[in-house]
Amino acid sequence: MSTSSVLRRNNVHVQGEGPPVIFVHGFGCDQAMWRRLVPHFAESYTCILMDLVGSGQSDLTAYDKQKYSTLHGYAQDLCEVLAAVTTAPAVCVGHSVSSMIGLLANIASPDQFAAQVMVGPSPCYINDGEYFGGFERGDIDSLLETLESNYLGWSSNMAPAIMGAPEQPELAVELTNSFCRTDPEIAKQFARVTFLSDHRADCAKLQAPTLVLQCSEDLIAPRAVGEYLQRHIPNCTLRIIENVGHCPHLSAPSASADAIEQFLRGL
Amino acid sequence: MAPIAAEPPGAEALYEAAPCGLLLADPNGRVLRANLTLCRWLQYPCDELVGTLRFQDLLTMGGRIFWQTHLQPLLRIQASVAEVKLELRRKDGTAAPVMVNIAERPFEGGTLLHVAVLLAEDRHKYERELLLQRRRAEELAAQHARDQQELATARAEAEDRAQFAEQLVGIVSHDIRNPLSVIRMSAALLQRGATPEQQAQAVARVTRAVQRVQHLIGDLLDFTQARVGSGLRVRKRDCDLHHAIADSVSELAVAFPAQHLLHEQAGDGRCVADADRIVQAIGNLVANAATHGDATRPITVRSEGDGGTFRVSVHNHGRPIPPELLPRLFEPMVRGADANAAEGVGLGLYIVREIARAHAGHVDVRSTSAEGTTFVLDWPCA
Repeated sequence: MSTSSVLRRNNVHVQGEGPPVIFVHGFGCDQAMWRRLVPHFAESYTCILMDLVGSGQSDLTAYDKQKYSTLHGYAQDLCEVLAAVTTAPAVCVGHSVSSMIGLLANIASPDQFAAQVMVGPSPCYINDGEYFGGFERGDIDSLLETLESNYLGWSSNMAPAIMGAPEQPELAVELTNSFCRTDPEIAKQFARVTFLSDHRADCAKLQAPTLVLQCSEDLIAPRAVGEYLQRHIPNCTLRIIENVGHCPHLSAPSASADAIEQFLRGL
Repeated sequence: MAPIAAEPPGAEALYEAAPCGLLLADPNGRVLRANLTLCRWLQYPCDELVGTLRFQDLLTMGGRIFWQTHLQPLLRIQASVAEVKLELRRKDGTAAPVMVNIAERPFEGGTLLHVAVLLAEDRHKYERELLLQRRRAEELAAQHARDQQELATARAEAEDRAQFAEQLVGIVSHDIRNPLSVIRMSAALLQRGATPEQQAQAVARVTRAVQRVQHLIGDLLDFTQARVGSGLRVRKRDCDLHHAIADSVSELAVAFPAQHLLHEQAGDGRCVADADRIVQAIGNLVANAATHGDATRPITVRSEGDGGTFRVSVHNHGRPIPPELLPRLFEPMVRGADANAAEGVGLGLYIVREIARAHAGHVDVRSTSAEGTTFVLDWPCA
């Protein structure tokens, strides 16, 4: 694939100068979710932003059911995006499922990566014997049902309507577009691929220095999961951010930025 | 927010009894206030909703994941979401389908979530119906594709059958014309007057020609029965097949005077079978062996019973059957490359297979240049 078609496929944006850091969003959103973190890092790093194929403003025609039936398809894209933008080893900041996408990409192509930052990661969402992932299979079916009934209310390509936010005039221009757009069919498959994935066996293969950034209260990635990762990833630091929810980079951006910055300085 | 200068009369009543549920929460979702309508809808005493529960605690598990992965990030990015379909759990655990609008508003240096909830029972039913219909439509489309496929297959089969019928007519007329011309020439000879020796030869030729036509008609009747009817008709009874096969081999030796025919037998000859049909099958196989085999070496018919399975084989030496012919060998109207009129319509092996099937058995063939060709029929004795 040519460089320009990779950049178009994943709607890649680059800003700032310095060593490369790539930000990869999780399920249900797009690169807009990094908006509160990126300005901080663009001062001293080259920030690379991308949308996973099927999310945001990626090229929907590139969505291949077979390729994206496992996270490896996304990991391959991540390596291609990095190769198209930089030759230096990059720090990969992945949110949620993209922590595991980053892990797989790093294992497959270690020379392209300097370090991994995992924000709210989980190697396996479903409980399995001793392992506590936080969910039962029925919960995931319930999610798929919620997704299905929500998309009925949306025209095929629209996120929920926005009521307007007079307090944030900088959003006014962007309001004509919606963030976190998803094609209903793709979202359903992505949800299935994400929440049924199990990459516990891959954790031990990750050699790069790794920061796991976890929220104190997160339904999607409970504390036990972060502790599991710390035990199973060879070179891993666990940092807990005081935050309720799954997106500390949105709800607690400065605490998140500080934790990442501190980790990067120690490399 | 700009404070409302003077609260209009009834504003508090509107808030509490509004025809929609209203809820105020901190940025983490903790419920700070809920109006009476919402409490009534969810069957909660208001003091139980407030202070301890979070808005997301009211959602189904799927809704909570959706909240955390999609709605909460969206709220942080764009400060509001609207027309989101969710299910809220009532105190008794049942789910209430609702439409929700949420806005994140600044308040005293922080933010608060303003949530408006509308019951959507009918809309929910309608959506279920739509989803059901969509699934049905998808199934119909899949069914349609399968039907098309079946139709194409059926059409191809019908075309095959039509072509087959044409071929059959051609072969049959050809195979009847030859014996008829033998009969016509013999009759002409007899009419012209001939020596007694010539007369005897002519009568023998006529008899053989009639037998050939009779055989052909027999094959066609069997074929029709096997193909169109419920399978070849057989009358199975207790019999001694060694005995019946020995008799038939002697008769075949007369019919094929140029061939050396051997009969080997082993084990028990007693069996439940249609002896006439088995003899017919052996006749077809021996006729094939005589046509295609090495005429200078013997044809061996072997019968073997062990009380469980009865096995009959016919072996000849000579060139093997071309491998490309093997897969279709037992299909009707398959004839060797060296086919000639003496061979019949190409129903011989087809009828052998149908005879085996009618005995709940099957027929197989091995053919190599080293070992020659062996057809083996076997079926259960009882």
